[in-house]
Amino acid sequence: MTRIWSRKGQVRRQSAYLPPTPQTNRRLPGFPRQGPKPGRTASSAITVDGLIKRYSEPASQAEFIVLSDISLTIGEGEFASIVGPSGCGKSTLLNIIAGIESYEGGVVAIHPNAVVGGAGPNIGYVFQTPRLLDWLTVEKNIHFVLEAQNVPRSRWPELVATNLAMVGLAGQERNYPRNLSGGMQQRVAIARALAIEPDILLMDEPFSHLDAITARKLRFDLVDVLQRAGPTILFVTHDLAEAVFLSDKIYMMSTKPARIFKRVRIDIPRPRQPEDEHIVELEKTLMREFFSVVEAKD
Amino acid sequence: MPPRQFLPRHVVALRVSSILVLLLLWWMASEAMRDTQILPGPVAIGRTIIADLRTPGPYGESPYFDIGITLARIFIAFTTSMLLGTAIGLAMGLNWLCERSLLAIIPLTLTTPTILMVFLVIMWFGYSEIGGLVAVIAVVTPYVAVNIFEGTKAMDKSLIDMATAFKAKRYQSLRKVYLPQLTPYLFSAFRYAFGLTWKIVALAETFGLKYGIGYMFFFWFQQFNIAQTLAWIIMFVALMLILEHAVFARLEDRVFAWRTAHAR
Amino acid sequence: MLAEKIPYPTFLASLSPFFASLRPIAPSALTLAAGLVIWKLASLFFLPVFFPGPDMLARRIIEIYSQPSNYVVVAETLSRIFEGFLISMLIGTTLGLSMGLKRSIEIFFDSWIMVLLSFPAICWAFLSVLWFGISQTAPVFTIVLVVFPFVAMNIWAGTKAVESDLIAMGKVYRANRFLLLRSVLIPQLMPYIFSSLRTALSLSWKIALVGEAFGVGNGVGQQLINWFQDGRVDMMLAWGVGFMILMVLIDLFILRRWERCVFAWRSRIAT
Repeated sequence: MTRIWSRKGQVRRQSAYLPPTPQTNRRLPGFPRQGPKPGRTASSAITVDGLIKRYSEPASQAEFIVLSDISLTIGEGEFASIVGPSGCGKSTLLNIIAGIESYEGGVVAIHPNAVVGGAGPNIGYVFQTPRLLDWLTVEKNIHFVLEAQNVPRSRWPELVATNLAMVGLAGQERNYPRNLSGGMQQRVAIARALAIEPDILLMDEPFSHLDAITARKLRFDLVDVLQRAGPTILFVTHDLAEAVFLSDKIYMMSTKPARIFKRVRIDIPRPRQPEDEHIVELEKTLMREFFSVVEAKD
Repeated sequence: MPPRQFLPRHVVALRVSSILVLLLLWWMASEAMRDTQILPGPVAIGRTIIADLRTPGPYGESPYFDIGITLARIFIAFTTSMLLGTAIGLAMGLNWLCERSLLAIIPLTLTTPTILMVFLVIMWFGYSEIGGLVAVIAVVTPYVAVNIFEGTKAMDKSLIDMATAFKAKRYQSLRKVYLPQLTPYLFSAFRYAFGLTWKIVALAETFGLKYGIGYMFFFWFQQFNIAQTLAWIIMFVALMLILEHAVFARLEDRVFAWRTAHAR
Repeated sequence: MLAEKIPYPTFLASLSPFFASLRPIAPSALTLAAGLVIWKLASLFFLPVFFPGPDMLARRIIEIYSQPSNYVVVAETLSRIFEGFLISMLIGTTLGLSMGLKRSIEIFFDSWIMVLLSFPAICWAFLSVLWFGISQTAPVFTIVLVVFPFVAMNIWAGTKAVESDLIAMGKVYRANRFLLLRSVLIPQLMPYIFSSLRTALSLSWKIALVGEAFGVGNGVGQQLINWFQDGRVDMMLAWGVGFMILMVLIDLFILRRWERCVFAWRSRIAT
């Protein structure tokens, strides 16, 4: 069942209406077959078509176009990355998909598999900084989002235990975030995002504030976890190497105004090694292309 | 969700409506209690104020004299406390001995209720101008001193070390590195002391001084004349707000210009 | 020392040097001792009723507090203080919170708060006696009108200083308003709530004395003005200083204890 879900009252221009996908066939046309991963029942596809976001400065009444005609399609269970320089609006895009920012044109649609409660698909979000509530224990931090999502209390202990174990933090329930290292805090943030059993996982440069060693370890752990968990993932980063290592698909974004100028499929089979020659080769090519576009703009 | 954009015209509309609502509530309350004569409405008070500015006070003095003398007292008390307080605060900041000895006393003066201080000073110095002024100065100076002292403590040592490394002379480093960092504290002390001086002068004029706006509203209070008391109180508060805005709003922009420079 | 771990708005830190200075007891104790000696010497030049020495003052204070009839006086004042303090905390916190959360409310009320903050306490004392007569309401009214703007301003500043990042995180996870308030906003506001609690209390008792000084029944303020008019510095100081000590003790032993309980989680953190 397709639910065209666009933000309240702000859509001023609708582009072509997307046909609903047939109920039994949960795959979008044109994409390789993706069934639900074992152990999981839900993941959703994201479709963004012609998205435009404007920001107007109240004092000068000047308008900036932050996002200009962005179109993406991400199939169920796919891992897609958006790569672009800092400040080009990637976070804004994620916020729009997450539903906390409005937009001025285009359509954002999410196709859930299961009818979830009525409020829309479950979206997990991992930010650049862990954004944990310092005054609560790790366990209570996860309880917070479970309560927000109206998950029944009886399930809470099991969800906390499973997800913390998945990110390698079993036994840390009663600890406070400030006693954990940056990498561990970010793992808690990931566990928190997974605990709500999301259909979609949005990640906004989650490893950019960590040192290289921790980040590398976390990337491996992420891939590991997601083999088991399997939501649709939209991963934003400025690091092309990271994107090539992690994703099925990369969208490259340029800035001012932000628009997508290239879409690349990564067909290298998993598990991948960052030193793998295919990956390195691909990364070099993409990097060259990336810089040629980005530098041409300056 | 980014916060709703508030255009300047919205802001102005809200501010104007807030003043209007206040006047309206006042008027409604006064109408509701018209029988008991407890709350004169805004119009009545306005008329009273205008009448007061024409009639002489209980000692035959002109009302402008009362206003003038209050302002004079405030000015003298304020400047003296600022100078004294800054000197003490700086002394405490720069000299360890001063700090230790005064640090035990000053908080004591801060916790003492102002009414006690005013009574005490008036009892010791008698009902005189000096007495009143000393009372005000005694209350305000510790606040200024503490504020400035906090400022010296919050000084960025690394900048002073930098100046020394570049062999800046003591006077130069004092003027160019030390004082500018102190300015925000000076300013906030200034502002706070200004408001405080007004309030203590009102208190002192009530209890110990002749002439002045505070004296006037105490006089009418003793006559149980609500309209007059309110009128003089409003004159007092209005004057304070106008002066505060005129003096500080302008200064603030100049003093903090380097801070508001766009650091995007 | 706990005073350093809890963030206080700068202008309030004037209270903390006093307690911070208790740490290196020796130098300050010396200063205090020296001060007492100077005081005693100075007082020898005057009549005790005009300029009492420290021993005289202490004797008077003990006299006052050993008479049970005086406890009623103190209790009266205390009841007014707590009533005014509670009401101002309630009104001030609600107003401050709403001002911090909604911009339209902020713009509407900020001019009111500014005006209220500049109103001298004594003006409210006069007006409340004119309006409410000699009753319990008059001093409480004075206290509320003087104190609640301070609380409102403090909480307003605190609400604006709350990290919007965490609120954004809560919103992404679909937390409703109540959950956000409860779990994200209020815990971050606790330092501000506590600092306003302490300012409010310290202000309340001082204003209570002003409010009572106009023949409003029986209370410590009443005592102050009576002895003032009788010219007895020693009795006036005894009542004033005695009450001051009482309020400082309440602040030290009740408020600080409570504060320490609420912020106990901070001590469980390694840093």
